[in-house]
Amino acid sequence: MNEGFLQEQKTLEGDLNSENSHQNSVDFLMNWFRKRSIFVLAYGTGCGAIEMPPTFTSRYDAERLGIRGAATPRQADVIIVSGYCSYKTLRRIIRTYEQMSNPKYVLALGSCTVNGGMYWDSYNTIKKLEDYMPVDMYVNGCMPRPESILEGFIQLQKDIGEGKASSWQKYEENYEFYRKNQEAVLGEKVAPSYEADWYLYDGGL
Amino acid sequence: MIVLDSLLMFLIAYSTGFLYYGLYRNITARFQRRYGPPIWQSFFDSIKFFTKEESTSHGWMFYLGPIIMMTGAIMTLLFIPFFSNDESFVGLSKYGNLFVVLYLLVLGPLGNALGVGTAGNPFGAMGITRGLSRLFAMELPFYIAVIAIMSLSGSSDIATISASQTMLNAVAYPLLFIGALFSFIGMMGQAPFDVVGAPVEVYSGPATEFSGKFLALLMSQSAIFTFAKLVLMVHLFLGGADGFLELLGKTFVLFLFVIAFGSMYGRFKTAQSIDFLLKVPTTIAVLGLILATWS
Amino acid sequence: MDLSIFGLSDIILSLKVTHLANFFASLIAFSSFIVMFIGRNYKLTKSFYALFILLTASLFLIVYAADYLLFFIGWEVMSISSYFLLSFSLSKEALHKYIIFAMASALSIFIAILILYSGTHSFLYADARESFARLSDIKGIVFVVLMLFGIFVKLGTIGFHYWLVDAYEESHDFFTPYLSAVLSKMGIYALIILVTQVVELSYTLAIIGVMTSIIATFKAIQEDSAKRLLAYSSIAQLGYIVTVLGVADGMAGALYHSLIHTLVKLLLFINIAGIIYVTGRSKFSQLGGLIYKTPQSFVLLLIGIITLAGMPPLGGFASKFMIYTSLLDAKYLLILSAVMFSSASAFLYVYKLIYGIYLGHPTNKKLESIKEVPLSFLIPQYILALILILIGTFPALIVPQLNAILSESHLHTIAFRDYATLISAFGEYNGLVLISAFGVIFGIVLLFLLSTHSKVKEVKDRFDVAYCGEEPNEATHLHYGYSMGKELKRVGFLNLIYKNSVKPFYDFIASQTVNFADIFKKIYTGNLTNNFNIAVVFAIILLWWSIK
Repeated sequence: MNEGFLQEQKTLEGDLNSENSHQNSVDFLMNWFRKRSIFVLAYGTGCGAIEMPPTFTSRYDAERLGIRGAATPRQADVIIVSGYCSYKTLRRIIRTYEQMSNPKYVLALGSCTVNGGMYWDSYNTIKKLEDYMPVDMYVNGCMPRPESILEGFIQLQKDIGEGKASSWQKYEENYEFYRKNQEAVLGEKVAPSYEADWYLYDGGL
Repeated sequence: MIVLDSLLMFLIAYSTGFLYYGLYRNITARFQRRYGPPIWQSFFDSIKFFTKEESTSHGWMFYLGPIIMMTGAIMTLLFIPFFSNDESFVGLSKYGNLFVVLYLLVLGPLGNALGVGTAGNPFGAMGITRGLSRLFAMELPFYIAVIAIMSLSGSSDIATISASQTMLNAVAYPLLFIGALFSFIGMMGQAPFDVVGAPVEVYSGPATEFSGKFLALLMSQSAIFTFAKLVLMVHLFLGGADGFLELLGKTFVLFLFVIAFGSMYGRFKTAQSIDFLLKVPTTIAVLGLILATWS
Repeated sequence: MDLSIFGLSDIILSLKVTHLANFFASLIAFSSFIVMFIGRNYKLTKSFYALFILLTASLFLIVYAADYLLFFIGWEVMSISSYFLLSFSLSKEALHKYIIFAMASALSIFIAILILYSGTHSFLYADARESFARLSDIKGIVFVVLMLFGIFVKLGTIGFHYWLVDAYEESHDFFTPYLSAVLSKMGIYALIILVTQVVELSYTLAIIGVMTSIIATFKAIQEDSAKRLLAYSSIAQLGYIVTVLGVADGMAGALYHSLIHTLVKLLLFINIAGIIYVTGRSKFSQLGGLIYKTPQSFVLLLIGIITLAGMPPLGGFASKFMIYTSLLDAKYLLILSAVMFSSASAFLYVYKLIYGIYLGHPTNKKLESIKEVPLSFLIPQYILALILILIGTFPALIVPQLNAILSESHLHTIAFRDYATLISAFGEYNGLVLISAFGVIFGIVLLFLLSTHSKVKEVKDRFDVAYCGEEPNEATHLHYGYSMGKELKRVGFLNLIYKNSVKPFYDFIASQTVNFADIFKKIYTGNLTNNFNIAVVFAIILLWWSIK
């Protein structure tokens, strides 16, 4: 039985026991280093950020997995979208996301990023993060406890190691789609023009 | 021969520096009642940054800034011999002396300052200002102690200073050692004098705008610099070393003391740290100088 | 060659060619040559050039004089001609300050020379030590105090620097390099003559020099105008030279630092002159972000900055090394700590200079359309930068000349092995190894970086900085780093330097002089008949006295 709701659920959930995908040894080595050291941007975007401090400090200690905080988007690998995104915050999140260097991963916490969650009928929040930014890993809950966040990180590490966490490539390839959605809610000047140049036209060395 | 020597010194400094940083994260974690990352974590961090797909750059000066930092760090390392009495692992120390090393310590921060200034991030300028303001206050007790030791040993050559200690300088001239230790805590970037790179407070200060391979270069030069400074302190105050075991042991003990001190204290503000450093350690070092050379 | 002019009964004037005189004369000649390059950008009148030539001639007279009277004549002509040169562009207040201080210094030097003359009735340098030995104690102290006052005013020592900063800031851009590089060296020359020919002053000079350099360095950090910052920096660098002249064997370090300081200040002031010529502004709050518009100027200023701070690969380290080892050898340990402290504090104003002008962001729209400075500014800077790199690579290049000077003053000479190793009393280093190690390691790291996996993407716009998710635009004040150094005022210890100033003291002296002069107004009322009455009274007194 490979059809139906339960099967669809299975594709959305992570599975720590799945087999490794095949990649050549250079990619394998690079992904191995990338998964062992994850820098998370210190940016709490919504009310879900309350669960981030316990995860990164002594009690639940995310540092033993190699995860630590980073101050600026230039230094970060992962941005955690923790909870709802009002339009005001969405503008900053997108600008910050575009300033991070590839490869970058997005971890979406809470049900607000999936379908609007508790604010499903609000005039000021977005209902589906996937329309505006590509997401690598969802962690369900309202709010997910630190144990769930850690399991999300472990699954993200596994995906990185197998080369499956490629949302940054998805963003570059489908940039027009994302940009159209962003402009629809944020107005025409969603980000400074030099940002669009970055993605639409190839520049630099 | 010099080339092979230098290369080995660089490799040892690189791996030991990163290992010490991994141990630092582990030990600090144990102080905080948790387990830390594996001790190889710093290697993983810096290699991960080398595997980033792209690095942002703000022009040719931004590109060259981290290179100047790395060059400064490696040159400082090469001008400090590892052992007091040996002919191997001396690098270029025969062609320089302690004054050269003291000034090479500042070459790295200059490259950093130029790179950050080019990027134009005002937070970077804030971090650099803090760093330079803290620099002159932090160096004063260290200079007083070093000058006293040079005068007592009669030479400014590091190998001579470390070999001529019949009793450890730290034991013979304790006030000088304590004064220099305050400065050394600041040089290692530990609390209470670590206001420079305060990560979220000033947007990581002098490391703002660096990403990808530039950040990897910053972390690598930091590891090499740490090891070079530890070896310098061992030669000046702890009697030098005659073998690798002794060198690693002494540097590790000093490093352990510094990070234990740093994990206990909070952070001074810039003006507070300058004020403190110009008063307390300076007075201690001056007293030590007068007591040591009053004959 | 020994010239005797005006063979009056007991006054012999002579010129003498010594190695010391040749050293300073070559500095004067080279500086005049370099400064002439930038003259074509300014519309300078013929009288300006004539005065400039007169100034240079007077400087040569000072240097080649072998007796104090010719020295003083040169000193006076220098003061007057530089006064007229400054009057082309200085404001009235700054000009008055300059001439009052210059006249006071000249007067006190003259009185000191006359006091020395009373010893053996001879002005010659050769008889000076004998003259000083014959003076009574009080006369000796008065001589030293007056002479030092005159010299310190010229050098801009703290306390007597009131005229210097305004004069440097407002003088014509063509003349400021010359002022800072050469005229201050005449004070150094006078001090060297005093210390080697007449009397040794050890701790006095050392302490005054050290206080000067510390206070001037911290004052330099606060300045917003580039020329004022460099003026305070000149005061501080001259403070180092004064300090090391307090040591018996310090002349080598003093001469080396004079050479380096001349070259560096020429480079820095010509660089600033180029920027002022192209942008029309000289304050950091109005400049910024010029690095990619004037890249050659930036690199040349960077070389100047590294030398001024005394960092190893370039030439500034050699002179600092000699100064430090001289002080260490003489066991002036606390003085040496203070000098190293002031040298470490210099990093702040050195970085402020390069950040305020070239790094950061441009503060207004006009700066975005600047082109590179004209070639006539760049050529002298390239020459100076090459010389500084050469001195850094071969620091012992001038040691043979220094040894000639030292041996003719009967001091210890410096050991000399080869041109690349600088040997001093307390250690040695090899400049060639230093700079080649720097070059090789730089090249290796650069190659490594070019070959790594990640590509480099250049940002398109200067506003693309990590700014916490916000988007800075034209109106955002992104260049506020130019005011670095203001936070030092919050440190209680350093606030002592910032709260106090010499202005109230000189205002007090000025007001007391005016009050005192008012007394004479009661006699010399300006009324013509009154003047005639006074003249008649004086004539009667003179006649009566001459008859007696």
